[in-house]
Amino acid sequence: MKSRFLKTILTAGLSLAALTSVALAGTVRVTVAEYSAKTGPYFAEAEKAFEAANPGVDIQIEVVPWDVLLQKLTTDIGAGSNADLSIIGTRWLIDFVKQDVAEPLDQFITPEFKDRFIETFLSPSVMDGKTYGLPIAASARAMYYNKELFEKAGITEPPKTWDELKAAAEKISALGGGVYGYGLQGKEIETDVYYYYAMWSQGVEILDKDGKSGLGSDGAIAAAKIYKELIDKKLTQPGVTSFSREDVQNLFKQGKIGMMITAPFLSNQIKEEAPNLKYGVAAIPAGPSGARGTYGVTDSIIMFKNSQNKEEAWKFLDYLFTTDMRAKFTQGEGFLPVNKEEAKMDYYVNNADLKAFTDLLPSARFAPVIPGWEEVAQKTSDALQKIYLGDVEPDVALKATAEEINGILQK
Amino acid sequence: MTSRQTAIPYLLILPSLVLAAAIIFWPVGSLIEIATNDVNRFGQLKGWNDFANFSALFANADFISALWRTGLWTVLVVGGALLVSVPVALILNEDFYGRDIARVILMLPWAVSLTMTAVVWRWSLNGESGMLNSALMGLGIISENVQWLASGDLAFAMQVLIGILVTVPFTTTIFLGGLSSIPQDLYEASALEGASRLQQFRHITLPLLKPFINIALVLNTIYVFNSFPIIWVTTQGGPANSTDILVTHLYKLGFRIGKLGEASAVSLIMLAILLVFTIIYVRLAMKEREA
Repeated sequence: MKSRFLKTILTAGLSLAALTSVALAGTVRVTVAEYSAKTGPYFAEAEKAFEAANPGVDIQIEVVPWDVLLQKLTTDIGAGSNADLSIIGTRWLIDFVKQDVAEPLDQFITPEFKDRFIETFLSPSVMDGKTYGLPIAASARAMYYNKELFEKAGITEPPKTWDELKAAAEKISALGGGVYGYGLQGKEIETDVYYYYAMWSQGVEILDKDGKSGLGSDGAIAAAKIYKELIDKKLTQPGVTSFSREDVQNLFKQGKIGMMITAPFLSNQIKEEAPNLKYGVAAIPAGPSGARGTYGVTDSIIMFKNSQNKEEAWKFLDYLFTTDMRAKFTQGEGFLPVNKEEAKMDYYVNNADLKAFTDLLPSARFAPVIPGWEEVAQKTSDALQKIYLGDVEPDVALKATAEEINGILQK
Repeated sequence: MTSRQTAIPYLLILPSLVLAAAIIFWPVGSLIEIATNDVNRFGQLKGWNDFANFSALFANADFISALWRTGLWTVLVVGGALLVSVPVALILNEDFYGRDIARVILMLPWAVSLTMTAVVWRWSLNGESGMLNSALMGLGIISENVQWLASGDLAFAMQVLIGILVTVPFTTTIFLGGLSSIPQDLYEASALEGASRLQQFRHITLPLLKPFINIALVLNTIYVFNSFPIIWVTTQGGPANSTDILVTHLYKLGFRIGKLGEASAVSLIMLAILLVFTIIYVRLAMKEREA
């Protein structure tokens, strides 16, 4: 009895050991984020095609929901059981580089390979002159507007400045019937980014030249006041602090809001879920000085330092970044092309929606490359929620938060 | 002979003790290790740091308010669930037509995953396209949409109500078991002596149900204190951390911001609070029985 119990424990332990050492020669494990229902099938297909062309290499894909990706990577790396390759948010990259878990890819990158990429999207993955990741997904933000509501309200063209946006929002909200001018996000991921659009147009950056938080500046306070005024005059949907980005997008798809700022993938969603919605995509409004900014985001695929099969892993990366493979992925998910050849395809050139996004790229800001960025984003979102709720005045909240952020940055 | 007899019970519980040690003491041990060390965001230890993780927590206003709110959350949800469950169990214990169906309906929320329930409530409480607003509007109770989750106070109240709703089935089940163990002749005898229904409830039902109420209290307190899905799904502890309880605060610290040391410290504090509560409670319950 007792010996059998011991045996069970032993075999359990052995099989556990066997599980963690599956990295046999030629096995490449890849952790990928699930962007949509199309992500899994895309990588399954890539795996099949690659394995057929490269006998002896076994690709193992793990698809992880985006929300838990960082949590999974954190625990995997802590336990030493991470994959060979993984998709990560590029804004996390600095933590990976600082903790020395990411492998620089320069030893593999040929000039021809580097030339495949559009520079804007590759540069966020470069740190201290070394390339640590390749941009697997890229996105920017632009303003969607509901053409039908614009027509009803007698607005002929999308607003170019925040003043024009306010005027347009007034006209649309005046239509009544549960219709609101401007959709404002006030909850969950990227609540801070939704405010940066207004802040950038005031000529303020997240971090100023000395690396200090820009939140306490006059322009940042003016931007918060623009949003607060929109809320107070009921030109946004009510209860903004209970609306995440997805919630605002849903209102847009239901035709209940006139304008909102979000990513290219909303076009794909509208095509499938609300094909009759008449909408257009325009630039993000500018501030009094003509300044404007959009948020550029890339996700990178990185190689881990402790990978046993770096050659094979690189081969797979090389395959993923061929023009055809990129086109299939980008078009399926509704991202922007990162590959020069790909960007020349008819699909992108003749697409008015996407053109609005690519036109904004020169004014794109990426999340600053600083350790503790997630904490800065969290603090900023908290302050904004207090402002939107009217609990704290904009200047008080933002100045206090700027102090807090400077404290975090000094660490 | 006697020495062998005393050894046998220990031998018999040994396997489960080993198992418990492996799945309880080992993780708690590494928690203590992480909580008392300087840790990077991937859980790699960088050396002992004089309880800096704990002092950072107590200097953090968000942690302190999450601590108080956790107490409030636990008291309101557990108290509310007990108050609702006693009459519900009494009614379901009566013999009436359709009782079995009523029991099944009451148990159903228990069969649905907590996360799923919370997701459905998040949709229902949506300010613009939620079911609750359109139902209340249809009934003429409200004339303007209520933004249920926009402000901390209202959102927290709704979360407490959802918490009570999902705690009732389990609690009622315990009480139904308790009620069926009360012999019917006690009621008959007291009825002969002229006891009213209220007197029967106060002097027979309640005292005999007490051990079951105790169990429900302890178990629910542990579950509710640690309950993550309802608050996380509906508000993620927001707006501006105004609905955070310890476990959501812990998640943000650990997996959003990457302060694993402080997050481990929070979970040790939670463990200590629950441990103290349970010990005090078991002591009190024991004393009562001896008296």
